Amino acid sequence: MSDVNNYHEEEVLGKAYDARLMKRLLTYIRPYRRWLLLAVVFLLLGSLFQISFAFITQIAIDEYIGSGDQAGLLRMALIFLVAVILASGAAYAQLYITQWLGQKVLHDIRMQVFAHLQSLRLSYFDKNPVGRLVTRVTSDVNVLNEMFSSGVVAVIGDLFMLALIVGALLYYNWKLALITFVVLPLLVLATFLFRAKVRRIYREVRTRVARLNAFVQEHITGIRLLQLFVRENHTFDEFNDINRDLRSVHFRGIYYYAIFFPTVEIIGALSLALLLYYGGVQINEATLTFGELVAFIHLVERFYRPIRDLSEKYNILQASMASSERIFALLDTVPADGGGDGNHSRSFKGGISLEKVWFAYKPDEWVLKDVSFTVEPGEKVALVGATGAGKTSLVSLLYRFYDYQRGSMKLDGVELTDWSLGRLRSHLGLVLQDVFMFTGDYAGNIRLRDQRISDDDVKRALHRVGFDRFLETLPDGIHTEVQERGATLSTGQKQLLSFARALAFDPDILILDEATSSVDTETELLIQKALDELLKDRTSIVIAHRLSTIEKADKIVVLHHGEVREIGTHNELIQQPGIYQTLYRMQYQKPAGQEPSPAAKSK
Amino acid sequence: MNADKQPHPPGPFDTITKYLRRYRGYLIAGGVCIVCSNLLILVLPYITKIIFDLLENKGTDSERLHWVLAMVGLAILSGLFRFLTRRTVIWMSRRVECDLRGEIFRHLLTLSPSFYDRTRTGDLMAKLTNDLEAIRMMVGPGIMHLSSTLVTFVVALAFMLYLSPRLTLYALGPMLLFPLIANRVGNMVHRRAMKIQEHFSVLTAAVQENIAGVRVIKSFRQEDNEVEHFRSLSQKYLGLNMDLARLYAMMVPLLMTLASLLTLIALYFGGLEVMSGAVPLGTLVAFFAYLSMLIWPAVALGWVVSLYQRGKASLERVNRILETEPVIRDEPGELHVGEMRGQIEFSNLRFSYNGTEVLRGINLTIEPGRTIGLVGRTGSGKTTLVSLLARMYPVPRGQLFIDGVDINDWELSALRGQISFATQEPFLFSASIGDNIRFGADSATDEAIETAATTAALTRDVRTFPDGFGTMVGERGITLSGGQKQRTAIARAIVAAPAVLVLDDATSSVDTETEAEINRNLASVLEGRTSIIISHRISSVKQADRILYLEDGRIIEQGSHDELVQQGGHYADLYRSQLLAEQLDKL
Repeated sequence: MSDVNNYHEEEVLGKAYDARLMKRLLTYIRPYRRWLLLAVVFLLLGSLFQISFAFITQIAIDEYIGSGDQAGLLRMALIFLVAVILASGAAYAQLYITQWLGQKVLHDIRMQVFAHLQSLRLSYFDKNPVGRLVTRVTSDVNVLNEMFSSGVVAVIGDLFMLALIVGALLYYNWKLALITFVVLPLLVLATFLFRAKVRRIYREVRTRVARLNAFVQEHITGIRLLQLFVRENHTFDEFNDINRDLRSVHFRGIYYYAIFFPTVEIIGALSLALLLYYGGVQINEATLTFGELVAFIHLVERFYRPIRDLSEKYNILQASMASSERIFALLDTVPADGGGDGNHSRSFKGGISLEKVWFAYKPDEWVLKDVSFTVEPGEKVALVGATGAGKTSLVSLLYRFYDYQRGSMKLDGVELTDWSLGRLRSHLGLVLQDVFMFTGDYAGNIRLRDQRISDDDVKRALHRVGFDRFLETLPDGIHTEVQERGATLSTGQKQLLSFARALAFDPDILILDEATSSVDTETELLIQKALDELLKDRTSIVIAHRLSTIEKADKIVVLHHGEVREIGTHNELIQQPGIYQTLYRMQYQKPAGQEPSPAAKSK
Repeated sequence: MNADKQPHPPGPFDTITKYLRRYRGYLIAGGVCIVCSNLLILVLPYITKIIFDLLENKGTDSERLHWVLAMVGLAILSGLFRFLTRRTVIWMSRRVECDLRGEIFRHLLTLSPSFYDRTRTGDLMAKLTNDLEAIRMMVGPGIMHLSSTLVTFVVALAFMLYLSPRLTLYALGPMLLFPLIANRVGNMVHRRAMKIQEHFSVLTAAVQENIAGVRVIKSFRQEDNEVEHFRSLSQKYLGLNMDLARLYAMMVPLLMTLASLLTLIALYFGGLEVMSGAVPLGTLVAFFAYLSMLIWPAVALGWVVSLYQRGKASLERVNRILETEPVIRDEPGELHVGEMRGQIEFSNLRFSYNGTEVLRGINLTIEPGRTIGLVGRTGSGKTTLVSLLARMYPVPRGQLFIDGVDINDWELSALRGQISFATQEPFLFSASIGDNIRFGADSATDEAIETAATTAALTRDVRTFPDGFGTMVGERGITLSGGQKQRTAIARAIVAAPAVLVLDDATSSVDTETEAEINRNLASVLEGRTSIIISHRISSVKQADRILYLEDGRIIEQGSHDELVQQGGHYADLYRSQLLAEQLDKL
């Protein structure tokens, strides 16, 4: 599921273990520490019961089988059975709690990441491809699953088990135990060397994989070019080199694994051999019983199990580190400034004023320069200008999607930065050029997730924009699912829906970016009527392309290269030579003998 | 547009069996090693039994020493075989992975643009990474553990039967439950895992949509509602995961209980036998050891089955790509490979894409060496028209000829090798700027690169870069502006020294002055070459021998610049509004 927009950046060559990351990860367990404790208790109980199997076997052999006591043997068998049932019960409780705990923690992290995303500014979304962010919330969080659900508790359990076994062995027969552990330094050494080698290989593999993925990603994206320039064979050769390079690193990795696992097995056999030899000596001296020797063999066997699982745990750890690093990087992105909480409880009138506003997306590339104008309550203002004049940026500032660098922008007499974002936006309604449709039914696309807007409100809004005619054709009315997120709807229909959406929210001030795409005459009439309905009795700022909209505006603000160049009504501006006049002639006026085509604009 | 054909699939495993056959040497050697290592390790409990027997019968220390040494020797030998197992089987799996990755990538290179129009890069990447890994796990560790398990199972059972048929019979009873439970639980796990997977898609889609619609969500202040909605989805996901977790939490203790019961039965009945003297103690101890060796394979079998299932699903996905045949490929039979003169003829060409007719009857003949200007609105079919020249989409027979030869009769590489393109949104690779220009002509000298760059008015910019033409572009290098990218693409097209040169709105992001410079420089390059220049700017096509105005897939006006302005049609309108725009810019 990993979306792959950028492998160079994606593949952070994280450390296998990073104490700082681990510490932060563990903080997510804190709310559940009691449960964690409980899980550990069950785990310990389970381990104890399991160890007891060896004890019971030993007693059965030495006390009862040796003396031929059948009733005693049966008694031991029953005790064994009880121990088995208890061990299983403890294991169930422990597994259930740890799984639940893991899932809870994942849910918490997922919610935190998602909620944090909601609070980020728009500029963050401009910079990060959708796929990458989706991966953060979904796949990256899932990778942590194993670490939380099995890793943490299992490590504690393994350590305890090892200690328990060592204790039991020493308790039984410290001499024999020490002899058995003679091989332990060998084991530690082998593990240590293996870890060092595998860590290096792991890193090399990661860099190679990153390179390979980057190469494939890039060449699939550029496939048309590749085929146009007949570079297929050449590209394949390059790919082959990278592919083989990766393979050779894997080969080296195989070598280390191939040495490590048999080595552990041989060391295990070595300690068994030592045990059998010296155990035999002790049995002959009568300082050891047969049953004890059997118990020893059992325990030593259990001792090696966690060590064999080591490499798997290591992989889990490495994957978690890489994912958590990416997740934390997102969480550490500073969210949008929530703004002030100025006291503006008095009735809202809805005037907007801009005074010497300067704005740039990148330093020193001013998109808006010294822009000043006012919108009185109830006024309809049309923003006009060629592509790139700064109209859309201006609207984004009003919404505080971005912040202006200089000057002052006020809504209802209060500086925008003093408004809380939520309050500010609650007064504004936005209709964008590209209508974004969500999966779900028509009603859901009008009210979004705002439950205060009832079905009746939705129907009324659709009625007011004249969508009834289309609605009648839908099998389930407003509860009909929108097909493929609106792909089957016409541009005109989608525009009407977005008008209805704005109407349903009934904002004090409407901000509208008129679509430039041309529609058929019939729909055009519908849209114009809907626009009238939308703008009626409402303060509004319209990035206008339709002549009808511009003509009806109370005030036209002409932007040119980021500056306000002309302000006035249509009739005033059309009289004087200047930008508006030129724009008007360019777009709406054809040489004599041809009828004007509305909203037709060449790119 | 007809989709790439997907013929009836053969067996899903055909894709890898050819590799398994190629590496059968490794497979056979690996198999031998697996049998040997397991046989040897399985002898160890038997030696334990012998040692116990010795102890009971008061054998000497030196006798025991022999057996103990034999034990270590066998363990070392077994370890050697285990080492060789990994070196052969896992080694082979990495080879298969590498080969298969190569096969997929090579196949991807042959697939036509229409395939990439409907396939997301992310999906392809997932196939090349996750799916390939799943297939490798099936081929390598899967085979290794499966055969290990089988060998252990058979041999351990044989030893047990040899040691005590009756005890084996007792112990085998509960043993039969293993596969039964594994199968039942396996099915349940599968169903629940599928549900989780489905809901994961829902979750992913929700995040995807939330981020894509971030502007709407923010402007209508739906952030909190979105969080609540997502919470309910995440909660459901948690619930579904817990359904599976409960099963898992139950299954592990269940298997553990069964395994312990085996030991219990062996202990009790074995103990009775030892008491009656039918079986020596050593045999019982060895029996315990074999039992514990049997339990592990039974549990591991479940793991191997899941490896197999995942591998098979991945293989099916990969096969779907491999079975997709390229719609555009060299036709069978004799193909034209000669040098191109550059005479192009469209004969009532019609072309549809995704059910929409994009070109509706194009008739056009371009003589070699001529320059054609192509204008028209976005979506009028200009780009489609020129992309057919390189057969990027299937062209119906008898409708497009180059040098009098039907385009379908040209060898693809000869055709594409002699036509080059510079497009509006050029793609540059993360390589040096010089290598990007050299892209279509490996043998181009540095001088040729620089000359081409100069023609494209790029050399001045390159001089300011830290390493000149050696400067890396893209992620790990400098970021070029849109105009610089376009100029690099023009230089790239020129260096290929083609018979036909197509500039598809290639200077749209270049400022007017630089554009004028490029137009001046291009004059000498265009000489003797057939060229087609698509542009939204009149200034770029003004000098062309002939200008075509395209609308709705038809040529509706054509002639020289002066003729078209005279006619007073769409072209003249466009020209007039651009003059006004120029005026506007100066205001």
